[in-house]
Amino acid sequence: MRLLKIAATGMAAQQMRVETISNNLANMSTTGYNARRAEFADLHYQQVTRAGTISASDGSVLPTGVQLGLGVRPAAVTVELTQGSLRATGGDLDVAIDGHGYLEVTLPSGQSGYTRDGALKRSAEGVIVTSEGFAVAPEITIPDDARSLSINAEGEVFAFFDDAVEAQSLGQLNLVGFANAKGLEAIGSNLFLETEASGPANVTTAGQDGLGTLRHGFLEDSSVDPVREITELIEAQRGYELNAKVITAADQMLAATTQVR
Amino acid sequence: MEAAGYATLTRQTGLMREMQMIANNIANAATTGYRAEGMIFSEFVARAEGAPSLSMARGNTPVTSQVQGPVEATGGAFDFAIEGEGFFLIDTPEGERLTRAGAFALSGEGDLVTMDGFRVLDAGGAPVFIPPDAGRPGLGTDGTLSADGRPLAQLGLFQPVEGAALIRVGGNLFESRGAIVPVEEGKILQGFREGSNVEPLSEIARMIEVQRAYEMGQSFLEAEHERVRRALDTFTR
Repeated sequence: MRLLKIAATGMAAQQMRVETISNNLANMSTTGYNARRAEFADLHYQQVTRAGTISASDGSVLPTGVQLGLGVRPAAVTVELTQGSLRATGGDLDVAIDGHGYLEVTLPSGQSGYTRDGALKRSAEGVIVTSEGFAVAPEITIPDDARSLSINAEGEVFAFFDDAVEAQSLGQLNLVGFANAKGLEAIGSNLFLETEASGPANVTTAGQDGLGTLRHGFLEDSSVDPVREITELIEAQRGYELNAKVITAADQMLAATTQVR
Repeated sequence: MEAAGYATLTRQTGLMREMQMIANNIANAATTGYRAEGMIFSEFVARAEGAPSLSMARGNTPVTSQVQGPVEATGGAFDFAIEGEGFFLIDTPEGERLTRAGAFALSGEGDLVTMDGFRVLDAGGAPVFIPPDAGRPGLGTDGTLSADGRPLAQLGLFQPVEGAALIRVGGNLFESRGAIVPVEEGKILQGFREGSNVEPLSEIARMIEVQRAYEMGQSFLEAEHERVRRALDTFTR
């Protein structure tokens, strides 16, 4: 009966792989999205005969014993942290992060969220917000009479006014780094939260600690590679079918067993 | 049951185990660094009193395929594939374990860890620490990880001492029954990882073979059952 369960773990694993791939493909146009990859590990082993069991009176021991594997389990779904290509948009509040830092966002709960989606907007009050309307930290307010905006590589926001030649500095965007950015918790809407695994947020500014710089007027494309996803999809589908075949074979073996009276 | 029944039964038990191994191999066809497993049958001769000896089939010797698995490009800074022999050394609560699955990540403290959070040990047996500002470290041909021209750690390869058994403990890990020694000539690739070395085609062929052999054993048992029933019918009439 274990046979059926082993094949079932295999099918569940391949299904999870297809789910990960379909999520990647669904997000192939999402700004700042990084592809996810499902990782697997073999389940524990049942030790039928332990290696090292004495097999003869002269003290010979079994070199390998009998261990029966019990299938596969998902070990992790990791984020592949690769830089997506930068697309010129010309938007006056579009910034792309050229490096591996994150922008800091203040969530409605007061908690800090982190994002690589630099498609920023301005709210009715002139505050710089994300597409969801969450304020970017530190809060920067754009005066109503500002003619145009400029954001430099270090994240400093400047406004130009009709009655002045010199640009006026409004504030500087934070850039945040993590010891293990793969450990961040994704909460959807291109946002991430700090976890135990990611390590504490290292809040600095662009250009510091090797976190990269900001590019004004650009957005980071999704780093999903459709060709790779499709080849993975084919592999996963075939893997699923192979496991289904094992279930059929196991069923037929059990049918043969029940035929013996 | 008579001797013929017992002899068939030993074969059937072994076949069932082999089928389970095949199912486990196929289930792990997408597991990083997985090693396919097979079964060897051996003859077990039982001496019978005043009758010819009886030969039984025992399936109790697993073999692990040490063929190199396919190396897949991932581009990840902490994905490492081993070309040739050797294993990475992992520090687990139960002791040091070996793995071929080089899909690593950093912990919150900056240590290089496996997907299950166990620390990877370097050539000297110490944990590999990557400072947060190191960015993306590069790997030299001798296994040295460096960032900005500064060496961070040297990844090492290990293997069990000649003749020591490798026990599977799950989670892509192996336990060595003997001492673990460094491997000199192994090569580590960065941005790649080794896939499972299961060959689906040969597994399916073997699966069909095992299934048919099992069914043959069952029909033999059935024929034997029929023979005994007839004998009883004849003698007790």
